[in-house]
Amino acid sequence: MHFTIDTNKFVTSVQHANRAVTSRTTIPILTGIKISATTEGITLIGSDSDISIETYIPYSDEEREYMTVHEEGEMVLQAKYFSEIVRKMPGETLTLKKDGQMAATIESDSVIFNLNGYDPENYPRLPQLEEDHVIQLPQHLLKDIIRQTVFAVSTQETRPVLTGVHFEIKDGKLTATATDSHRLAMRTIGVEAEETLEINNVIIPGKSLVELSRILDDAENMITIVVTSTQVLFKMENLLFFSRLLDGKFPLTSNMIPSEGKTSMTVSTKALIRSLERAMLLSREAKNNVIHLRSNGPKEIEISSVSAEVGKVKESLSTSDFDGEELQIAFNGKNISDALKVIDSENISILFTGAMSPFVVRPIDHEQMIHLFSPVRTY
Amino acid sequence: MPNQEFQLPEPYRDTSRKIIHIDMDAFFSSVEERDNPSLKGKPVIIAKHPKKTGGKGIVSTANYEARKYGVHSAMSAYKAYELCPNGIFIDGNYPAYREASHQIREIMQRYTTLVEPVSIDEAYLDVTHNKKEIPSGTIIAKQIQKDIWNETRLTSSAGVSYNKFIAKIASDMDKPAGLTVIPPEEALSFLRQLSIEKFHGVGPKTAEKMHRLNIFSGEDLYQMEQMDLISNFGKAGISYYNRVRGIDNKPLCMKRERKSVGKEHTYFNNLTTDQEVLDELWQLAKEVVRSLQRVQKHGKTVIMKIRYRSFETVTKRMSVPYYLDEPEEIFNQAASLWEEVGTIEKGVRLLGITITNLDPIEYKPITLF
Repeated sequence: MHFTIDTNKFVTSVQHANRAVTSRTTIPILTGIKISATTEGITLIGSDSDISIETYIPYSDEEREYMTVHEEGEMVLQAKYFSEIVRKMPGETLTLKKDGQMAATIESDSVIFNLNGYDPENYPRLPQLEEDHVIQLPQHLLKDIIRQTVFAVSTQETRPVLTGVHFEIKDGKLTATATDSHRLAMRTIGVEAEETLEINNVIIPGKSLVELSRILDDAENMITIVVTSTQVLFKMENLLFFSRLLDGKFPLTSNMIPSEGKTSMTVSTKALIRSLERAMLLSREAKNNVIHLRSNGPKEIEISSVSAEVGKVKESLSTSDFDGEELQIAFNGKNISDALKVIDSENISILFTGAMSPFVVRPIDHEQMIHLFSPVRTY
Repeated sequence: MPNQEFQLPEPYRDTSRKIIHIDMDAFFSSVEERDNPSLKGKPVIIAKHPKKTGGKGIVSTANYEARKYGVHSAMSAYKAYELCPNGIFIDGNYPAYREASHQIREIMQRYTTLVEPVSIDEAYLDVTHNKKEIPSGTIIAKQIQKDIWNETRLTSSAGVSYNKFIAKIASDMDKPAGLTVIPPEEALSFLRQLSIEKFHGVGPKTAEKMHRLNIFSGEDLYQMEQMDLISNFGKAGISYYNRVRGIDNKPLCMKRERKSVGKEHTYFNNLTTDQEVLDELWQLAKEVVRSLQRVQKHGKTVIMKIRYRSFETVTKRMSVPYYLDEPEEIFNQAASLWEEVGTIEKGVRLLGITITNLDPIEYKPITLF
């Protein structure tokens, strides 16, 4: 293998592939990135066996040619070193040449690296997916869905299904749901898919979605999503992102959302975030984040927090459209502010169903997002 | 080198309090001798006889007769046996010790409510203001010692001073049945002539480090700059600097915070299958949860203890970012620790689960489903 390539173009591609590589893998060859060169272009693959990313640099596009391939071939090079080396190369182009059986010479301007690698024959093959279940979304929308749900996944391995975001397609609507059993984030959108297409219990690991979202653009470009029973594939231009799906049954969440409550109100999203952040300043080592909320007539609520060793805080916040009973409730403030931060609307409505039962937060200007929280019992 | 320009203000020495430290003399063995007068004058060692246990076990107390042979607490019972083969080994009657301890604490409570129990056989008392309105700490200490003797037939040693640190050292000066008083005006010369090992809080490791810095006595410690002590010993350096100046303004701590809650079982028929181990872990998890509920606490760290047939003992801890208070959660953590470090082929003789990193239960998240 021997090629010379535009450094910037190559670096971007290597970095994308490198997103899938972790140093903590039990399979040594997966610490490497696989590079395949043909006269048509160069393919890079990184994988940690849960996530695999394949990027492709075509020989040329409408604008220009990016490379000269002197000799076709394959290599696997240590991602940790390789990605840093190419990033720090000084020249506009760099040359990569196979040097012996498994090693490579990487040159740019007067810099020469010799890097040992692995036998490419031993690199695992990426899954081949049956494209029976396919949907299409604009990238920016997928990026939004991820941002607005993935923060709510569980970080505990005790219930693995909760570490993923659940995707469901029904009646032309896609619903993404994440919950750690104390809070739940749900986002709905209309999708372009065959009308008969129904997908249920597809649980994508939160970690995969976080990585994917770092690659996604805020652009209108369409992304194609292929789902099988064990894998999901996100297809973009010159990039394939594979993730394994989580095994198990996601809790049935549709009937958890209460439609009627005892107390409801509208508050400014930003004002509530700021108020909660102030109240959480006293939480010792961010351990508890228990915030108390009390209605104070129809026009305002009181937000307060007490930390035995540190001190206490109290403030009032104006509300509108107050309806129902007086209320006093305690909750994890961090969970609420996490959710408020992904709500892009100016105002939210909160529907309480009692001091010891779940409450619902939603933007007031559309119906496509619901956040559900359980309160905290204080002693 | 510490910053020479940086000077901490000289600490304030509070000499206004009257603090007594009472330490029971060879407590367990004294209780045994009291209850069985034939033991008097003989070396008594509270530990299972090494012949009965195959050489295992530790000495919890040795009486003064046994100490003459070099036997002391925390020594292996086997070593004690080698040093003192004629020693009388007694298993230990803990209910009797607890009862005596309870009686003694009641006596102390007659003088002041400010009693800090340190362990089953020692306590601090703040008698600055006391129920009997006796102005002298020394007189109170004497009376308490007398009351203890009259009501329990046990001897104690007392130290009297104006803080806990000096009172504790003082009680150790004249054992058994001694009383040592260190008034404020004598405190500094008393501390300066002490060997560094006598300072409470200076263990063998710290002593060694002090020796390397040419600190052998209170006097040597007194000569050290505060910043030098801080750069060598960190936060403890401040406390050494203060203590050698007779300063320890810490108030009594009436309620000892529970730091951990644990349960362990010994299986005379060793466990030989994973299922048996898991069944026992489930039992232990349920017991630990009951204890946690009693003290209204929950914790984030699980410590698993395994002792094998060979007496090889393994402990392994694991912390989680949330509070553990359900048997299922504790069992899950313990089971995964077992999976990680346990070897069933070695035969399991003992299992233990301890929850530590405890906090009081102030709130509990409710779940959605």
